[in-house]
Amino acid sequence: MSAISLLNTAKDGLLAHQTAMNLTGSNITNVDTPGYTRQRPVFSSWGSVDKGTGVGIEKIERVYDRFLGVQINDKMHDVGYSEAKKGALENIEIIFNESSSSGINELLNRFWSSWEDLSANPAGQVERDALVSASRNLASVFRSSSDELVSVQNDANAEIAGLIDQANGYISDIADLNGKIAAIKTGKGDANNLIDKRAEALKGLAGILDFQHLEDSDASVNVFLSNGMPLVMGDRTWELGVKTDPANSNFYNVVFRDDPAEEVLNNVVTKGKLAGFLEVRDDKVVNYLSDLDSLAASIIAEVNAQHQSGYDMGHNLGGVFFEPATAAEDMRVSTDIAEDVNKIAASETVNDDGGNAELIGAIKDKLVMNGGTSTFNSYYASFVGKIGQDLADEERGLDHHTDIMNQLINKREGISGVSIDEEMINLARYQLGYNSAARLCNVADELIDTLLNLVR
Amino acid sequence: MAIRVSENMKYNTMVNNLFRAQDSYNAAMEKMASQKKINRPSDDPVGMSRIVSLRKSRASVGQYRRNIDGCNSWIEITESKLSSVDDLLVNAQEIAIAQSTATASAGTRSISAVAVQQIMDGMLSLANSKYGDRYLFSGTRMDEEPFSSSESAAAIGPAVAADGNFFDGTVASGGGPYTGSVNKTYVVKIIDGGAFGAATYQVSSDGGKNWSSTNTIPAGGTITLGDGIDLTFTAGSNDLTANDIFYVNASAPGYYNGNGEELSVEIGKDTPFDYSISGESVFTDNGGGNVDIFKVLNDLKNSLEANDPDGIAAQLDNLQKASEQVNENIARCGARMNRLEIAENNMADLDFNLTKLISNTEDADISEIATELAMKEIALKASYATASKIENLTILDFLK
Repeated sequence: MSAISLLNTAKDGLLAHQTAMNLTGSNITNVDTPGYTRQRPVFSSWGSVDKGTGVGIEKIERVYDRFLGVQINDKMHDVGYSEAKKGALENIEIIFNESSSSGINELLNRFWSSWEDLSANPAGQVERDALVSASRNLASVFRSSSDELVSVQNDANAEIAGLIDQANGYISDIADLNGKIAAIKTGKGDANNLIDKRAEALKGLAGILDFQHLEDSDASVNVFLSNGMPLVMGDRTWELGVKTDPANSNFYNVVFRDDPAEEVLNNVVTKGKLAGFLEVRDDKVVNYLSDLDSLAASIIAEVNAQHQSGYDMGHNLGGVFFEPATAAEDMRVSTDIAEDVNKIAASETVNDDGGNAELIGAIKDKLVMNGGTSTFNSYYASFVGKIGQDLADEERGLDHHTDIMNQLINKREGISGVSIDEEMINLARYQLGYNSAARLCNVADELIDTLLNLVR
Repeated sequence: MAIRVSENMKYNTMVNNLFRAQDSYNAAMEKMASQKKINRPSDDPVGMSRIVSLRKSRASVGQYRRNIDGCNSWIEITESKLSSVDDLLVNAQEIAIAQSTATASAGTRSISAVAVQQIMDGMLSLANSKYGDRYLFSGTRMDEEPFSSSESAAAIGPAVAADGNFFDGTVASGGGPYTGSVNKTYVVKIIDGGAFGAATYQVSSDGGKNWSSTNTIPAGGTITLGDGIDLTFTAGSNDLTANDIFYVNASAPGYYNGNGEELSVEIGKDTPFDYSISGESVFTDNGGGNVDIFKVLNDLKNSLEANDPDGIAAQLDNLQKASEQVNENIARCGARMNRLEIAENNMADLDFNLTKLISNTEDADISEIATELAMKEIALKASYATASKIENLTILDFLK
């Protein structure tokens, strides 16, 4: 054992501790980087027993819990799904917010009232004009509610296109990173930063759609849709695209961009924001629209039927009061009536009594909806309640998922996050090690000096 | 084993809790500003549903109360007119009693005849009185004055085609004499259009409410409506078309041109209420024991002019019956007003209860909300205070 080997040992100590301090430095500066996992130097001693052991950094360990990563991605599917649905349903709730006073309920009540007022004075021009005005307001609110529901659908459709672009961005990032990581790993290097970036890209993709992922033998992550079709394998990608569907009002279907058969993937995506918007567009709003249309169509049919059995001021049988329509977007007062209010058939006989107007007013209590078991008002009341309930459910779901998500993130932070306190202490520790190694250099130097000065 | 706490964890937890405190505070603030517990359907879906139903009920009740008000006014005026009619009849009775005795002479009788004529004129104007645009005593006929000044025989009015008919030929009423005992409006509705011999029709004898079975118009173009009325069509350039309407007003002998229907309006759910009294039941001789008041007065006048004391005496009994007839109808008015008062009280109660229910479901209790707001404000301030402390404590302050 020579003094020179002591110098070597000191050199090892210096270098190892210097690397450790660099690592601590990079942990500290990355304290705010999202998704950063802290890195830890693993010291190990090497060399032979009799010649003295030195130290080296065996590897730089990335401290993370692989299962937490999977759990977080799974939760992101749920969070994205609830978030998308909640946003769209909030817009729908505004359309039907009956706590203000100019909603469908109020205008419908005024409509029936106008008929009753007309029945008390069937020849009155004022009452007739008031009735036409109330009817126009009613038709207009049905039309605008229908239009606003359709525009929620259009917004969801546009969001879907945007999300597909985002997803493609993440997919190509993941593939790119896969390639780089594989290259570095084969060169026996550490690709920790790239792995962090890839984990963030996976989390971003998880918010958009649901997928399965597996880590390959060459450390690439392969991403598959829930039916097994691949999105990323190694550094190859299968990007998604949108295609308009003429059978569904020219809304977008999700397809693979390079798929000549253009197989529709809408049902394969069941969670994440994409699924949320697809469900709102193709399921929830379609149901709400059909309920609204059914209400409008029944009102039109019942009022028209009763109107046509009455007599107007010209002793004619009444024509249609509303233009016959089956959808709320087409609800209009008939132009004949709007032009000549004397054509309103308020009378039950040719003698200008107000009996028919009274009968039309009484339709408000008639059991017409739900196969003859509900009035218009109770049907509408349960419609509004349904919208409120759907939104309340989504809000609760989102709160629940977000809470769990936050807990998982905190747990991840607990394992992989940077604690300034800890890093500072480590810094002090490594600095001590460095100083000690430097001192060792000094001592070795003196020893060699003494040796050299022995022989003169 | 202690849990590692990283910087991000500290900040995330703090920020999330701050947002939660702010969200609660904003929600309480909104309730305070709007004075409502339920500001949107998702706040309480079942509550919102209930509010929508209750509002409709309250709107209905409001409308019923308006209808009841309208009926009240109508009946009050009817009652006052009928009172005046009774006063006139009392006058007529006094004249009849005075002039039927031997103390009257031809001179007094002819002067009284003029007085009776004036009573008749007054009676006519009362019987034709209007409320707004509508006659009080014409039943459901609104197109002409209910009472004419002279008696007419049973008549079949002209046939009228509705304005919007496609048929442009002529139609004439005929047949006769009218054998009905009361005034009626006959209506003919074309079911299937076509030429004579092919087109089908239905007849209604109550103005167009109830219809007979379908028959075919014979090639000659003449159909029988009933009660002795015929209707003859003469072809024009357009054929009879479905839903063409023709009607004929037929009157029984007498002074009355209206009909015996009563106007009705809803004063509650499924509760139609007849509020008008038809001239037929007050002034004409339909119904058991009734007299035609105008005929009685006219006979009285004729007897006075003819200086016929027996004729005059004969009318005393009729005048008595006339007075009873009018008083009976006044009593009907009274009974109806009683019923309306009860209905109005019920509706007022219902209105009050509904308002209370709506308020219970929807409105926020101010003191409760104010307390909640104060509590949330304290929680928010505490979160802010904690947040400010969190950055002041790191190991860097202690390392040298």
